[in-house]
Amino acid sequence: MTLVTLLLLAAALIGIGLYGALSQQSFVMLMMGLELILNGVMLAAVAFWAYSGAGAPEGQLLTIIVMAVMAIEMAMGFALVVAVFRGKQADTTEALSELKQ
Amino acid sequence: MEHSIAVDIAFLLLAVLAVVAGWRVFRTDSMVRASFFLLVSFIAVGAIMILLAAEYLGVAMFFMMAVEMMVMALFMVMFMMNPAGLNPMMMVHQHRLSIVAGGVAFVILAAMALFSSFPADPLPAGLDPVHSLGEEMLGDSMLIFESAGIVLLATMIGVVVLSSHRGRYGAAEEGSMPPGLEPGGDPAGQPEDDESGGGHAHHHHH
Amino acid sequence: MIESLASLLMVTVVLVLGPYVVAVLDRLVATPTGAMAGDVWLGPLSRAAWLLTQQANATEAPDWQAWRLSPALYLALAAVGLAVVPWSPTLIATDLVTSVVLWGSVEALATVVIFLQGWSANAVLPLIGAYRYVALGLSYILISMFVLIGVALPAESLQWTQVVTAQESLWNVIRQPLGLPLFLVVGLGLTFWGPLNLADSTDLAGGTSAEVSGPSRLAWELARAVMLVAFSAIAATAFLGGWLGPWLPGPVWVLLKTLAVLALLLWLGHRLPRVAPERCVTLMWVVLLPLSFVDLIWAGVLALWA
Repeated sequence: MTLVTLLLLAAALIGIGLYGALSQQSFVMLMMGLELILNGVMLAAVAFWAYSGAGAPEGQLLTIIVMAVMAIEMAMGFALVVAVFRGKQADTTEALSELKQ
Repeated sequence: MEHSIAVDIAFLLLAVLAVVAGWRVFRTDSMVRASFFLLVSFIAVGAIMILLAAEYLGVAMFFMMAVEMMVMALFMVMFMMNPAGLNPMMMVHQHRLSIVAGGVAFVILAAMALFSSFPADPLPAGLDPVHSLGEEMLGDSMLIFESAGIVLLATMIGVVVLSSHRGRYGAAEEGSMPPGLEPGGDPAGQPEDDESGGGHAHHHHH
Repeated sequence: MIESLASLLMVTVVLVLGPYVVAVLDRLVATPTGAMAGDVWLGPLSRAAWLLTQQANATEAPDWQAWRLSPALYLALAAVGLAVVPWSPTLIATDLVTSVVLWGSVEALATVVIFLQGWSANAVLPLIGAYRYVALGLSYILISMFVLIGVALPAESLQWTQVVTAQESLWNVIRQPLGLPLFLVVGLGLTFWGPLNLADSTDLAGGTSAEVSGPSRLAWELARAVMLVAFSAIAATAFLGGWLGPWLPGPVWVLLKTLAVLALLLWLGHRLPRVAPERCVTLMWVVLLPLSFVDLIWAGVLALWA
């Protein structure tokens, strides 16, 4: 367990998450991709905190903030999905095409 | 930071678990399983955080993500056409582009991890991570922490407004129609307009 | 080294003997009400043997992995709960600095596992049971968090050993009078026992375990009983001073207090009235959650004052 292996793991999680966020049609699956990206981000933050930040408390604080961001992202995301579903009976990204030319 | 071989083995297993579970999220037919695979990935990362001496963050990851993924699974079952995963399915678009984007992101980040030199500045001996986190949150960074709390409160209000049944222009479901049972068909579950169709029930009403 | 081995042995013994003790105590408590027939001491064993020889039921296209795994996962969560219980100042399996929070995450993960058990059967009644449980679980987790924060406040630590040490002058059951009653409700919810048995209740023909029979039914019931024991041990640690007590050695005190909480929970399980699920959720959010706020404020004011 070194900084490099930890960052490689974080990179893998971010890569998979990006793939999911771009490829999934369902809003909820798309949010799962975003969460996986944030998972990698949190791991990287803690890894830097432990190996090259000399245990600066701001490193841990950053992770707490990312957790709060995840909660906000999920709550807002689900509320938007509910609103879209009420209006259009759809839960896929293709259903939102008004802004297309 | 010095650590034993057991920590290395645990890290390796947890890393494999985190990646495999994260990958399975997008490769399973069942949406409920997908959200619980994501939970497994989070738990593995949380355990790695505990190995890294971030004991509060690791454990916080467990309970935060347990509740989040539970809610996610519920929403999955509500919205997905095939929540149980009884039929194989693949709901993706721009698939090749996404694979390339994910791969490129991984390669770039991995190259940064491998080829840049980060300062080696490990945790000082005698640091109490939980205590220092608490001091930071309710000390120097209190403004940030409290702002996060306010933002969460604003989110709660916003979410209630967005998902409320009633709005400024009347009830939310007004004017919306359920989808048809077959593509392009009549909306499902609507009462029959036809007087002769549901005759019996109608006569009871009048 | 010897102490950690001894504490692991302790956890294993409780894991094995706990369910039997729960079954016997439940029968003893139920005898005056005449709710349970059969031999008190041999009844649980014969039921276990009967379940073990039964054929395992199968539904149409269940999620087999999740269905077989969920009792084991629930049991594992109970084992984690037992592992953070300090039997004496040094006799403890995992003395994590954040063991109070770890117990909180056990409660949160239990919701996931119970939902999984009901959902994976791919049948109507188990699914309804699972949904009911999630509604209940999301309500009691919040109550539990506030009560646990209240317990951690006088200790100024998130570690169970510190929580016990902080009770040397006064047990938390007296210092925070609202804490233990609220926490007992959480315990009944966590194990869906007695009046809070909405997930596996008879109006759903057994709920999440309606379609489960044979060995996996046995595993599910064992896991539930062990979780009840683990919860009692945690409650004894949090509110009844854990290993503290005169004359007897620490581990014996923990055992006695755990048994006392267990008996109280089982007695409450038979005596409290059952509440309809939707009313239960209202009760949790409108009455019990504000009470847990009061408990937390009480604990905070006392901590500032001291």
